[in-house]
Amino acid sequence: MPPTTSTKKSTKKLADIDGELCGICQACATVCPVNAIEVTESYLIVIPEKCTGCGVCVKVCPVGAITLIER
Amino acid sequence: MSEKNCVIVVGAGPAGSSTAMGALRAGAAVTIIDRKTNVGIPVQCGEAIGKTGPGLAEISVPEESIRATVRGFRVYSPGQIAVDYAEKEPSGYIVDRRVFDKELFARATEAGADSLLGARFLDITRSKGVVNGVIVRHDGQRKTLEAKVVIGADGVNSQIARFTGLRKSYKPADIDSCFAYEMANCELEVTDLMEFLLGNEVSPRGYIWIFPKGNGRANVGIGIGGTIETKTAKEYLDHFLKHHDVAKRQLSQAKVIEKRVGALPVCGPNKTNVVDGALLVGDAAGHVHPITGGGMGYAMVCGNIAGRVTAECIMKGQVSAKHLQQYEDEWRKIYGSEFEQSLKLRELILKTDDATLDKLAGIVTGESIVRMTAGKKVKIFMKAMATGDKHLIALMNELRKLRMV
Ligand SMILES: Cc1cc2nc3c(=O)[nH]c(=O)nc-3n(C[C@H](O)[C@H](O)[C@H](O)COP(=O)(O)OP(=O)(O)OC[C@H]3O[C@@H](n4cnc5c(N)ncnc54)[C@H](O)[C@@H]3O)c2cc1C
Ligand code: SF4
Ligand code: SF4
Repeated sequence: MPPTTSTKKSTKKLADIDGELCGICQACATVCPVNAIEVTESYLIVIPEKCTGCGVCVKVCPVGAITLIER
Repeated sequence: MSEKNCVIVVGAGPAGSSTAMGALRAGAAVTIIDRKTNVGIPVQCGEAIGKTGPGLAEISVPEESIRATVRGFRVYSPGQIAVDYAEKEPSGYIVDRRVFDKELFARATEAGADSLLGARFLDITRSKGVVNGVIVRHDGQRKTLEAKVVIGADGVNSQIARFTGLRKSYKPADIDSCFAYEMANCELEVTDLMEFLLGNEVSPRGYIWIFPKGNGRANVGIGIGGTIETKTAKEYLDHFLKHHDVAKRQLSQAKVIEKRVGALPVCGPNKTNVVDGALLVGDAAGHVHPITGGGMGYAMVCGNIAGRVTAECIMKGQVSAKHLQQYEDEWRKIYGSEFEQSLKLRELILKTDDATLDKLAGIVTGESIVRMTAGKKVKIFMKAMATGDKHLIALMNELRKLRMV
């Protein structure tokens, strides 16, 4: 199992990635404290059960492709 | 499904292909896996090699990937004071990463490595605590591949680093958020120097680069600190292209022919990169220069070491962390102090305001910039004292603590 530190949802928010803007640099995934972002060759998957809605990923995106949405 | 392999290399970037080569030369059997079906794409790089870490003589750059030769650089301070450094002979290349990565990978397969593309690493397997394989998703199925040693060459977002516990998530301050254009129709003032622009206005906690690619083409990009929230990297680069003198002079007619994003680890190597049955190399290991952001050269040289040591350990039947440590010791002997010094220097530069950087640009030569980025001592102390500027002198005192002046 992946070493996730917490699966507790701190908020009702969830990271949402605009697939048309995203260039798959993985910046968001590298800073995600709970490893909630899976990266494939052509798209990203945010695992809703893992994402805590902390928003750290939002600030590192070079193209502003991530927003926090209500669950 | 289960297959038995000696070495499984996860990641077909420069680190993975070089590790595979090192292991093959030392007699091991190797399988390289990558989640991509097109190795080398998308390009997420400045594509400069030879000026950071290992020089051109220490690495073999595939001929067909070379787009331009460079002799040095031009650094613009925040106030646009230019400092040039140029050698007589070409000392670096700007490559096409698409071709570069693909060639290194192809050569590793021609040297005997097996390949499995479109195979995404999901998890590691262990026996008695020792890593002994990987689980991948391939052709829509989960598959287990057995290995004597697993190599994590899976880049900046290394899942192997996370699953082995060798690295947790990065903090935003640990990475640079990058955006770049490949451009045509550029009117570069120098076609054999790489240009760098520093300053809080143009690229906070990072820099803008303009690298010549020949025939009026250039790789133009930016890295900003991951903590910067004022604008995105793309917004900073677009603003630069529209409003900055250096861009207006050279890129006003330029056309975008490719858009690129990237994430760069700038916090130095992981504390250690070996566990029982597995090791990390390249970006996964944090083998990136904290100031220049160069990583390809380190990935190749460290990869070669990793491959050879892995093969030797397998031959001896000893793949514990204690034995794989030989790899860690060898690469640290070559680059350890370079990474340590440049990380400290990076922290110092980040604390220095733009006005002081301008004053520093007034007293340094290109030669001293080269020495400083390599973590070596420079003779600028007397010049700095002569300016009588208290901020510059304070900076010198900090540099003195690092034994750099
Ligand atoms: C914007 C930018 C500019 C840069 N400019 C320069 C430069 O000018 N010069 C320089 O020397 N360096 C530069 N670098 C750094 C350089 O790009 C890296 O250091 C280098 O690519 C590291 O090579 P690598 O093989 O470790 O990783 P990568 O090249 O990232 O390769 C990793 C491979 O692993 C695969 N992979 C990842 N996860 C999985 C998984 N779960 N399953 C299967 N496969 C996986 C990927 O698909 C990829 O093929 C730059 C980086 C960035 C972001
Ligand atoms: S919001 Fe936080 S937990 Fe969710 S994906 Fe982004 S960084 Fe990860
Ligand atoms: S940081 Fe932005 S561009 Fe990069 S992978 Fe994440 S969503 Fe995509």
